[in-house]
Amino acid sequence: MDWEAEFQAGTLLNNVNEKTSRSTTDRGTSSSTRHGRSTTLLGDDEDDRDVSMAGPSSDPAVDEILEWNIAEEAHLEKLTRHWMNERHCPDILPAEDELLSSLLDHIRRQSEAVQLLRGELSTSEEEHLRIMLVQTEVERIKFVLRSYIRTRLWKIEKYARHIVGNEEMQARLTTSELEHARRFAKLTDQHFHHSVLQSLPEMRVDLDDEPMLAPSMVTQPDLKRPVFVHALTTCPIIQFEDGTSLQMNKGHISLMAYAAAEKLLLRGDVELV
Amino acid sequence: MALPTSLRTSATPPELELIASQQLIEIVPLIAMEKTAFILGAYGPLRPPIKASVPLWMAVNLKLKKKCHIIAPPWLNVEFLQNRLNEETGNKVFSKMPFRFAEIAKILLDVAPDDLESPDKIRSLLKDLREARQAKCRDGLAVLDRGETSLSNLCAMEINEIRPFFIHAKSIITQLYREEAQDLQEDSQGMTMS
Repeated sequence: MDWEAEFQAGTLLNNVNEKTSRSTTDRGTSSSTRHGRSTTLLGDDEDDRDVSMAGPSSDPAVDEILEWNIAEEAHLEKLTRHWMNERHCPDILPAEDELLSSLLDHIRRQSEAVQLLRGELSTSEEEHLRIMLVQTEVERIKFVLRSYIRTRLWKIEKYARHIVGNEEMQARLTTSELEHARRFAKLTDQHFHHSVLQSLPEMRVDLDDEPMLAPSMVTQPDLKRPVFVHALTTCPIIQFEDGTSLQMNKGHISLMAYAAAEKLLLRGDVELV
Repeated sequence: MALPTSLRTSATPPELELIASQQLIEIVPLIAMEKTAFILGAYGPLRPPIKASVPLWMAVNLKLKKKCHIIAPPWLNVEFLQNRLNEETGNKVFSKMPFRFAEIAKILLDVAPDDLESPDKIRSLLKDLREARQAKCRDGLAVLDRGETSLSNLCAMEINEIRPFFIHAKSIITQLYREEAQDLQEDSQGMTMS
């Protein structure tokens, strides 16, 4: 990806190299070449994301004011979107392996650069400020990453038994998540067996009964749970169970059953808010 | 516990603030800084007194160190909010506001009231706006049905506020319909059997 390459050539690391190898006098020239590079850096990557709402009443002047800052959807924006989707979604969404590893890479590189810069005694006040800002950003991203992973972990533990018997669900997890689900299911099974089940009559021992008129014993995601959906683009028409249909335009917000929005969410046409 | 119970049903306001802080805002820096590569992208160079666009969290950070002035977004002033408020009270539908206006306004009012024009007036307008919108949210509960409910122009913080109750209410409605359908089915089966 372009962004990666640009980042690798990124300025913070450049600075470290410069500081260690070059004298500070030719810094001016290098910063001007940097400038050119970084404008492309901000230019690519995904469509613009609208912060305002495209609702029925539209007055161009007001629209202009509301769309005052349209940030490009970079890695972090994507992560934030997936984080919130995961938080609001009753099911477990497909793992975002690549995104996570690339972000972790960025974090590692930024931290290394910070370490290097910190080690130098000669850092000016300006450098201190930059280091502080870079560190702040790293911490912010780490927070989102952790919260995202914890949310998945919570759902994985909750649906562990269901995951073990469901291949479609397994496909949405990373290998380590799947491993954890299997171990967790096994451990809880053993625990229940040792503490209670072994002393019950044989017909009551199973943990995965599906009795006729009661809900199944295996906890499953409730796909009927309503979610708040926010359309990111103009979406294809969705049909609901009761025969009605709906086409959402960009910015539309709606409360509907997760099952109805699932396809659009997986396509990335909507986000959960 | 992987995820504390309080975080399971909804996001928290501080989390929404964190998300809103990623948006860009203009500042007038009071210190110089070279262009720096962040994970989100490259920001800077800061050269006082030339305006620069940085993420809100960075602006807040600099502001707290008294190293910049924040330029209020074009919707955060008395005139604009007054117009919105008039529209809000005059119409039945929600008026258009930036999706994360509540979070951003709060951050700016907390951190940089001196960069805003008449912050007290803005604060009271925002409060009025919030109350007017909240009342509409509550009215919205009446039209909740098992199908789909459109809530255009609702903002992140408002959605978060009504989420637990709306989701619970809607789940119950759906369940009632499902049971009704089942009863009907059983009734008709009973009829054919007898």
